[in-house]
Amino acid sequence: MKKFSTAAACAAFLSVGVSAGAIHAQTAEVLHWWTSGSEQAALAEVRKAFEAKGGTWVDTPIAGGSNARAAAVNRMLGGDPAAVFQFSIGQQLRELADQGLLANVGKVADEENWDEKLPPLIVKAAKYDGNYIAAPINIHGENWMFYNKAVLEDAGIDVPTSWDDFIAAAEKLKAAGVTPIGLGGQPWQERIMFNSVLLGVGGREFYADLYSTLDDDLLESDTMHQVFETFAALKPFVDESSPGRNWNEATNMVIKGDAAFQFMGDWAKGEIIAAGIEPGTTVGCAFAPAVDTAYIMTVDAFAFSAMDGEDATPAQEKMAQVMLEPDVQIAFNMKKGSIPARLDVPSDSFDSCAQTAIKTLQDKKTHLVSTGLFGVPSAVSGAIDDSISNFWNSADMSPKEGQEQFHEAISYAK
Amino acid sequence: MADPAQGVLQRSVENDAIQKTGRRRWRPQWTARMALIPAMTITIVCFYGFIIWTFVISLTRSRLLPVYKFTGFDQYVRLFANERWWTSMQNLAIHGFLFIGGCMVFGYLLAILIDRRVKAEGMYRTIFMLPLSMSFIVTGVIWQWVMNPGLGLQEAVRALGWDSFEFNWIVRPDRAIYTLAIAGIWQQVGLCMALFLAGLRNIDPNIWKASRVDGIPVWRVYLHIITPMLRTVFFTVFILMSAIVMKAFDLVVALTGGGPGFSSDLPARFVVDHILNRQELGLGAAGAFVLLCTVIAVISPYIYFELKKERGGRGH
Repeated sequence: MKKFSTAAACAAFLSVGVSAGAIHAQTAEVLHWWTSGSEQAALAEVRKAFEAKGGTWVDTPIAGGSNARAAAVNRMLGGDPAAVFQFSIGQQLRELADQGLLANVGKVADEENWDEKLPPLIVKAAKYDGNYIAAPINIHGENWMFYNKAVLEDAGIDVPTSWDDFIAAAEKLKAAGVTPIGLGGQPWQERIMFNSVLLGVGGREFYADLYSTLDDDLLESDTMHQVFETFAALKPFVDESSPGRNWNEATNMVIKGDAAFQFMGDWAKGEIIAAGIEPGTTVGCAFAPAVDTAYIMTVDAFAFSAMDGEDATPAQEKMAQVMLEPDVQIAFNMKKGSIPARLDVPSDSFDSCAQTAIKTLQDKKTHLVSTGLFGVPSAVSGAIDDSISNFWNSADMSPKEGQEQFHEAISYAK
Repeated sequence: MADPAQGVLQRSVENDAIQKTGRRRWRPQWTARMALIPAMTITIVCFYGFIIWTFVISLTRSRLLPVYKFTGFDQYVRLFANERWWTSMQNLAIHGFLFIGGCMVFGYLLAILIDRRVKAEGMYRTIFMLPLSMSFIVTGVIWQWVMNPGLGLQEAVRALGWDSFEFNWIVRPDRAIYTLAIAGIWQQVGLCMALFLAGLRNIDPNIWKASRVDGIPVWRVYLHIITPMLRTVFFTVFILMSAIVMKAFDLVVALTGGGPGFSSDLPARFVVDHILNRQELGLGAAGAFVLLCTVIAVISPYIYFELKKERGGRGH
């Protein structure tokens, strides 16, 4: 490790020293926020492949997504951008492109035919002016329901497939002394659960329409009222200490059997694997109860800076190409716990949860996007988190009031 | 900022009066001014410059990056329609009142107790001062554990057999804001105590002798004689603690994360969250500017009043 960072430091020094010449044209500095064990291991797969193709990788990890994004933007504005940087795709990235700060990798994308291989919604979010400004590397799903199989068996219940079933099951579990829902009471986690309810009660078309149009009629609709009623009905099934809890602590409650269910993205599998359990065995995974099948996607992506007076394009294009290579997609995503961004990659080597996800996504009707990252503008995304969290934590707020507050917050933010 | 310059200036004038030489008249002024240029520049650029810049940004529709397309007071309209903003401002008032009041009352009481010549005074002083050596983040994490109903105080007392015991403020939206004051006071009370103690030790012993001769009870001496004499110490403590309240960010991040919901949010966290995490630069800047105006409106009358009184007192 030490040797590795020394080498990285030397490489960084060298690349700065000779950056004016084109000698090190295949050098790419990669700025990212993947600092945890599994994330690092996953990214190392990309690095290995990039270096095997003769590229030089300069690693710049910065802990924390918002810190890393701020650093990437500040360096760009300061005239010393990292050639490749992790970023969320969507409106913010387009804002950078508006300022002429980004390079595009349209050439590679055309050669590799990304348009056909990536889910259309992701294609749309990753393009600016018809060209790709980012390379999507994976897909995480947010409407998962993880459950402890033994706990469900002891209580004599099946995995619920509708929210009415779920509420009936939760009553039983509560009577048996188990916490039905292990929830980390932080706004984004409450929102993940809310969106699962929204999808489950309203259906995938309603979800897609609502968040793509943010239409007043939909926000005021009876369906939306039902969503809030169902969400409110879940309040008694959470334990007292939930507020402020981290997501991985909640996952551990399910692993230990203290809680029966957790609604969380598939990164929870990382925690399950770390506990020595293969996802889908003693801790099961299923989509949250819903009227039809859908997958709420969130995507990790890398974007490319416009480099002033220096030809970084070959290195950037090589990076984009490597990131979406089928072998790299498999190796990376197996370690990351996500699924490949390309839908044409064979799924055999993945765990059963990931296989389900890959199979589901073959049907384009199931594609939905998370409000957390690129489904809606970040101001709206924040307003959603705030109002959902406020509703969830206000015992005396009626579903009607919750719905109105949600509507109002979105109108001011959009 | 201007005070040291004036001090030097005044001294130089006095020198002049004694020596009456033309050359000495300007040289000390000149060097003093030269020495002040860096500090002045930093203050003007970093402080006033950025205040103006923040205000300018708040009039634009900047999101991720500063853009200079002006939209008037739109961001302020959005800010004032935002429920989370009002919750955080209300929380600032509650937290400010409880935290500053609590630090002053408990700090003063502790100082008085120590001033009564308790045994092992040094030990108590160290114990009360110790929390101050910790950052607000550490304080926040400690109290988060203590107040967590599942593993902290509540659980511990229940394990002893008192099953109905409840201390779950940190997970109750209507009480979470008070936990901030508890943790904040715990950390800062030592500093207040030290300042008050220094003030008490400066009181002329003859006052105690005189009051003993007159047979005044000790509590009345403290309340009616000593406390008014410590007016400047109270003033200092108030200003110091006010600054901590206005800046309060790390404590709320570590202790409650603004939750449950946004029930314990504070304006500083609102501003940072909107600028860094939500790419709402304009809205965050508007929040920061409103916060600044609020602080000026609340604090400046008190400062003005105190300084005027002090100057008036000296004059006569």
